[in-house]
Amino acid sequence: MSVFYLVAFLAIFFALMTIFTKNPVHSVLYLVVTFFTLTIHYILLNAQFLAVVNFIVYMGAIMVLFLFVLMLLNMNEESEPMKSNLVKVMGAIAGICLIATFLGAFKVIAPNNEFVVGNAEVGLVKNLGKVLFNEFLLPFEISSILLLTAMVGAVLLAKKEVKKI
Amino acid sequence: MGAIITLSILGIFLLYLGLYRAKNALLPVTIVGALVALGFILFQWNEEAVPLYHGMVLFDRYALAFSALCMLATILILLLSKEYFRTISDNIAEYYCLIVFSLMGALLVTAYHNFAMLFVGIEIMSVALYILVGIRKNDPSSNEAALKYFLMGAFSTGFLLFGITLMYGAAGTFDLGELRNYVMTTNEISPLFYGGILLLLCGLCFKIGAAPFHFWTPDVYDGAPILITAFMSTVVKVAAFVGFFRLFSMVLVPLSEFWTPVLLTVTIITLFVGNITALVQTSFKRMMAYSSISHAGYMLFAIVSIGAASAPSILMYASAYCLASIIAFATLIAVKRKTGSEHFESFNGLAKREPLLAFILTIAMLSLAGIPLTAGFIGKFLMFNNVMGNYNVMLLVIAAVNAAVAIYYYLHVVVNMYFRDSEEPLEQQIPLTNAYKVVLGIAAVLTIAFGVYPDVILKLL
Repeated sequence: MSVFYLVAFLAIFFALMTIFTKNPVHSVLYLVVTFFTLTIHYILLNAQFLAVVNFIVYMGAIMVLFLFVLMLLNMNEESEPMKSNLVKVMGAIAGICLIATFLGAFKVIAPNNEFVVGNAEVGLVKNLGKVLFNEFLLPFEISSILLLTAMVGAVLLAKKEVKKI
Repeated sequence: MGAIITLSILGIFLLYLGLYRAKNALLPVTIVGALVALGFILFQWNEEAVPLYHGMVLFDRYALAFSALCMLATILILLLSKEYFRTISDNIAEYYCLIVFSLMGALLVTAYHNFAMLFVGIEIMSVALYILVGIRKNDPSSNEAALKYFLMGAFSTGFLLFGITLMYGAAGTFDLGELRNYVMTTNEISPLFYGGILLLLCGLCFKIGAAPFHFWTPDVYDGAPILITAFMSTVVKVAAFVGFFRLFSMVLVPLSEFWTPVLLTVTIITLFVGNITALVQTSFKRMMAYSSISHAGYMLFAIVSIGAASAPSILMYASAYCLASIIAFATLIAVKRKTGSEHFESFNGLAKREPLLAFILTIAMLSLAGIPLTAGFIGKFLMFNNVMGNYNVMLLVIAAVNAAVAIYYYLHVVVNMYFRDSEEPLEQQIPLTNAYKVVLGIAAVLTIAFGVYPDVILKLL
């Protein structure tokens, strides 16, 4: 349990650092660390597959991509658009309302709820595969169309158009 | 299910046709494929509907009717596309492929019976659209629209997913049938479930473009190519709305006391924002974007006062709205090709140059405004009737005021066509291809037919 609290504290700490730091590159690096703490959470929950995917895809691929884009964009404090204070205040109020609502909701959940405790082995690759290729076969197959759509789109947008005049 | 498989294969086949540069075959093949898929849907009409594939999809009459509507609208839009895409770029096959995939996503959203399918369907539909909105790569407004739509869409999907997660946390299932059981039988519904409803409501309101989640709509509709705007504001909007309605009618009816006030507020804001901002627009396309927001508001009436009459009235309203929008956007394409502008002024004197085109556009505008003898009137009448049944007088008054406001801006373009003179010489006519004539003719005839004899549609559900 103490490991959980330590990791949870680190997760929140680095998440806050992601928002508060001024330098965008530092912000992304803190986000990487936040994802790493989440990976540890997944391992603590015995969700090995999720942990590996989170580690490889999110921390590895996506965040590095993020970092590259940020470096290419060459952002700094001066180029940051000014946001009006009214928007900030409204955003803060709305966000706090949302947090309050959900804290209230989560507080009522009994820790011995069967979906909270659940099956300890549910996150293993074997069980996940069984569910994925049996009950969730149709969404799994149709996701291929989603990926194909994204691929066609990426090629279409990135390809240089040859102008014939 | 046959329709979904057909459309998936059709999309891949179109990519191959593009590879072998069979450009002239693209449009006929797409339309034949869509007709085959439509055939599958009509063929299933009398079969008993059971949830397929471990309860993933359910093709009941409700889903089939809206799928057929989406397909008809897509076919009409595709018929307009012949010359249109060629002026934008060379890679036409990919556009047809993306439209077909997007249509497939729309079918999944109309027929889902499990949140996993809702998510996959909405994503397929949206991802294809993010790209289609941005296909004019050299046009900054198209790029801006695509990026804005992508960011907003991704954000709203986040809400949707979080909502689904919370509902799963409460009920332990993604299946609509089991969720309904949970809502009906559990004595004390978990607070997580309520949070889930709110977040799902936010996510879905984003997708249908209801205020206060509408900020992307005007810019995206304005920046996208007109044909894609037509597709977005008809097929995609209707499909997202149908998904919305399916969730609420199948699962959440017993909890209506909780969500009705929220949805009522959203509806009222949507009506006012849509209509009042539409009043001050000078561009026809932007006016249509705001009017689509206000139409989302009218369609939400059916959910606010949910009941047995809701599904047929949504079908009627959606059909009327789709047909009229297709006419409006088709006319806009023709006019823009001639004058190069989307402003109301470019419609000046259209009645003298092209009396038939002007007349058909007038029918569409009257239908959108809800004038009797058009389909739009029946749609509005049914929606108002639903609300009246619940004695929701305040909403009724607000809706009537908004309908009156809407007449002003819809008739603006009609006035321009008939009573303002254009600076251009009269002989300059707008060349219309046969496909345009067919589409405009079909849409106009159906608009009048549904308006005179609405039972054709109402008896379906």
